[in-house]
Amino acid sequence: MVGNARKSSSAFARAENPPVDFGLLRRILYVALLIVLLILLWEGLKAFAASNDYALHIGDATVDLTIFNNMQLPHLSDIVKAFAEPAQRNGPPLYLTLVENAWFTLQSAVGGFLIGGFFGFLLAVLFAHSRLMQGGCLPFVVASQTVPLIALAPMIVIWFSRAGNSALSIPVIAAYLTFFPVTIYTLRGLTSVPTTAMELMQSYAANQWEIFTKLRLPNALPQLFTALKISATASVVGAIIGELPSGFQNGLGVTILNFSRYYNQSPPRLWATIAAAGLVGILFFLVIVLIERLVVRWQREDSE
Amino acid sequence: MSAVISIKNLTKKFRGSDGTLIHALENINLTIEEGEFVSLIGPSGCGKSTLLRIMADLIQPTSGSITVNKKTAAQARKDREYGFVFQSSTLYDWRTVIKNVQLPLEIMKWPKEKRDERAREMLGLVELGEFEDKYPWQLSGGMQQRVSIARALAFEPNILLMDEPFGALDEMTRERMNNELLRIWTAIPHMTVVFVTHSIAEAVYLSDHVVVLSPRPGRLAEIIDVNLPRPRGPETRDHEDYFRLTSQVRHALRTGIRDEVME
Ligand SMILES: Nc1ncnc2c1ncn2[C@@H]1O[C@H](COP(=O)(O)OP(=O)(O)OP(=O)(O)O)[C@@H](O)[C@H]1O
Ligand SMILES: [Mg+2]
Repeated sequence: MVGNARKSSSAFARAENPPVDFGLLRRILYVALLIVLLILLWEGLKAFAASNDYALHIGDATVDLTIFNNMQLPHLSDIVKAFAEPAQRNGPPLYLTLVENAWFTLQSAVGGFLIGGFFGFLLAVLFAHSRLMQGGCLPFVVASQTVPLIALAPMIVIWFSRAGNSALSIPVIAAYLTFFPVTIYTLRGLTSVPTTAMELMQSYAANQWEIFTKLRLPNALPQLFTALKISATASVVGAIIGELPSGFQNGLGVTILNFSRYYNQSPPRLWATIAAAGLVGILFFLVIVLIERLVVRWQREDSE
Repeated sequence: MSAVISIKNLTKKFRGSDGTLIHALENINLTIEEGEFVSLIGPSGCGKSTLLRIMADLIQPTSGSITVNKKTAAQARKDREYGFVFQSSTLYDWRTVIKNVQLPLEIMKWPKEKRDERAREMLGLVELGEFEDKYPWQLSGGMQQRVSIARALAFEPNILLMDEPFGALDEMTRERMNNELLRIWTAIPHMTVVFVTHSIAEAVYLSDHVVVLSPRPGRLAEIIDVNLPRPRGPETRDHEDYFRLTSQVRHALRTGIRDEVME
């Protein structure tokens, strides 16, 4: 309890103990620890499989371990190295190619995220105010997500190229994945208003607009952001899927397709591209987390 | 004096989630005059909150009628005659304390400066001035309830409906808040207060009339007139009538329960 005695001279104490965000520090530490563990697991499994000649004999049974060989699961160091090496003879190093394509994909993803977010939100508002609309349309919204996007994507591409606007097809395909979580979570947030909170508004004879802006919407914000975080990563997946049938020569989706075609020549390239796609998703996710911190400021620090 | 709230043959039944009928209130007849302080007291579940909600036009009675200032309750609500203090504080999590107090003023289109001024004044009244920029979760339950009282008083409603506002407070704070409430009530002319409580002492100390409800279905067991002199203070609790009245309320509460058992 030595620290307590010092509290009286508060300016002094403050100078001595600059505010350190231990929460953030600890979180970074955990993530670093997790990455180290994953590396150990990856390389450990490979080493174990190699020392057993990629076959494990348990009694009479044999477990095939060839998925851990350098062809199926390259060394992490080889994947890292692949970033620096050119993908084509005399071409730029792979990481430059990836950055270029990731930028293209991110643009489509953000476009899809915005379109999907906007329409998802609009649908939620509509459903929140009309039971009829909700009952009639919500089943179709849910059903829409059971249609495999891979099957739908080529059709969307054809529609948009017929309409003379093929550049829009990728964001629209991404939007198809992103609007759904926004609709579901926002609807939940808009309608899960506590009875007394609503009665308070009624006791003031507040109109629908005031009830929406001062009660329903802020009440839905935490859930809306949960949806946006899901949508951010989903939009990257959607953009990558959308690129495949689009006929465009740019984007991580196209790159993944190319490298998987020539996988036998260099497995690490495909893995490097997958890592890049993951990074784009994480980046987008973190941006939303940042915005959430700025907007949803009223929550307890420990409520996450 | 003129009747502010006039309730005739009022009955309320709820349809429970399993389809059974819950008989909450049975044949209530009650008239509350302008400027009166009336307490509702009765065992838990007897329909006090329900009666208050019906007065505020938040729910509709099953049968019977209610008139507020010669209007329907719905019209009175539209005319913003009611300030309601809920059993739970019902603050909006996303608003700071001062913004919560300003909520009704925003809806009633007060200019920004007047809103700020009034909200500060009200927070001073409930002694929470320093907490204006805190969020509700940073306050204790009792403090939250005081904010909700400040919010209800901010626009000086004609009729203040309070549902166990001090239930969450310790005895000391409660007595102080009782005195504050009486002071505010006296300061705002013609303000009528309907006050739900579980505390016999509180009901007698504050009220002009104590309305005793019987257990479910809530019926008027007795109305006890409290003619203790005003302004009331610590000496009120030593007044000889104070003891007589508290035991009278206690007796009425017991009788209500006994009736129920005999049926
Ligand atoms: N919305 C509702 N739907 C169904 N039943 C209800 C509803 N509101 C209240 N009730 C029932 O009506 C009865 C009276 O409830 P009410 O909340 O008015 O009691 P109360 O006197 O305020 O009790 P307490 O002192 O515990 O707050 C209870 O049996 C309750 O279960
Ligand atoms: Mg109640």
